[in-house]
Amino acid sequence: MTDELELLKKDWQKKEFNVPKLSYEEIHKMIWKKSSSIVKWILIISILEFVLPQFLYFIPGMKDNMQVYKNLGVAKYFTGLSVVYYMVVLYFIYQFYLRFKEISVLDNSKNLMRKIIKTRKTVKHYVIFSLATCILFFIAMIIAIFLNNDIISAFPDMKNQLQNFSPDKLKVTLIISLAIVGVIFICLLSLFYFLIYGLLLKRLKKNYSELRHLAI
Amino acid sequence: MNKELEHKFVTELQDNQNIVHKVCTLYTNDRDSHKDLFQEITIQLWKAYPKFRGDAKFSTWMYRVALNTAITLYRKNKRRIDTADYESIIFKIKADEYDETEELQLKLMYKAVKQLNDVDKALVFLYLEDKNYSEISETLGITEVNARVKMNRIKTKLRTILNP
Repeated sequence: MTDELELLKKDWQKKEFNVPKLSYEEIHKMIWKKSSSIVKWILIISILEFVLPQFLYFIPGMKDNMQVYKNLGVAKYFTGLSVVYYMVVLYFIYQFYLRFKEISVLDNSKNLMRKIIKTRKTVKHYVIFSLATCILFFIAMIIAIFLNNDIISAFPDMKNQLQNFSPDKLKVTLIISLAIVGVIFICLLSLFYFLIYGLLLKRLKKNYSELRHLAI
Repeated sequence: MNKELEHKFVTELQDNQNIVHKVCTLYTNDRDSHKDLFQEITIQLWKAYPKFRGDAKFSTWMYRVALNTAITLYRKNKRRIDTADYESIIFKIKADEYDETEELQLKLMYKAVKQLNDVDKALVFLYLEDKNYSEISETLGITEVNARVKMNRIKTKLRTILNP
């Protein structure tokens, strides 16, 4: 085998591959093209993951809900938690920025891969944090409904439609629907997220573990 | 100043483009992907160029960026058309330069190398480019001992591919 590899080496070194040589102009044009590297994709997707959940608050229905939270008596907690939530989000964005800046193509392959995975992990933790917040939110709503003694007046807009419901029945219906919506919502979000994460880093992770197992 | 840098970079890359072509040949299976990867490597080289101080040879510096792009940054194209055609074009061996057995042997060897995984290919590439084990280990971020062990394993792997 060594002989064959040596033979290959000799051939390789004198070989001018049978591909058309690029001219000065062709190369010059290339340097201004946009990169489509995995790092660029990670940046775009991560920014989307940071920004998109924030838009949930701009959905018209969400604004009306504020009144419902007030009536349910959870509004003050909601505001307090929002402040904490945004502080944590800012912390994640700052961490992401620091790690993203560390990525350099001039690093050795193993370090480069490690840093990319680390950067992506920051976003992964952020998404887990977001999902946990969602779950807490749904649980808090369920508890608030459960403890509320005047459930019908919490929904002033629907007073007429709700007149025929007994408060207990309404409570149970609300709790069950919230639970179902919550579970579906969170499952969809996690599926969507882990699919992107998995697809994006599959090859990189394979190569990284290949290099890492060498070091053991 | 910028124009000057641009000119210097393009000229150096044009002179050394064979290295990038070799990496593209190893890691892609059709002409479009070859061009795609070449472009991505060029972009990455250009982006990193301001940090190139000239204390190393331009070509030495290129190996790291080109390989990192190929095994880490590049998002592989799913298309795999005309693999056989592409390989026979790329690895065309001039008949008058070789005797027949040697020619066949080389062709099989190239084919076997193409079947290795990304990391193994990187090692073989650096080996074929006559880099020593200390350079190989520095580029990939592994120890010299591991590079040697790995290279021996690759030789065994190639043997298995060639003589199933």
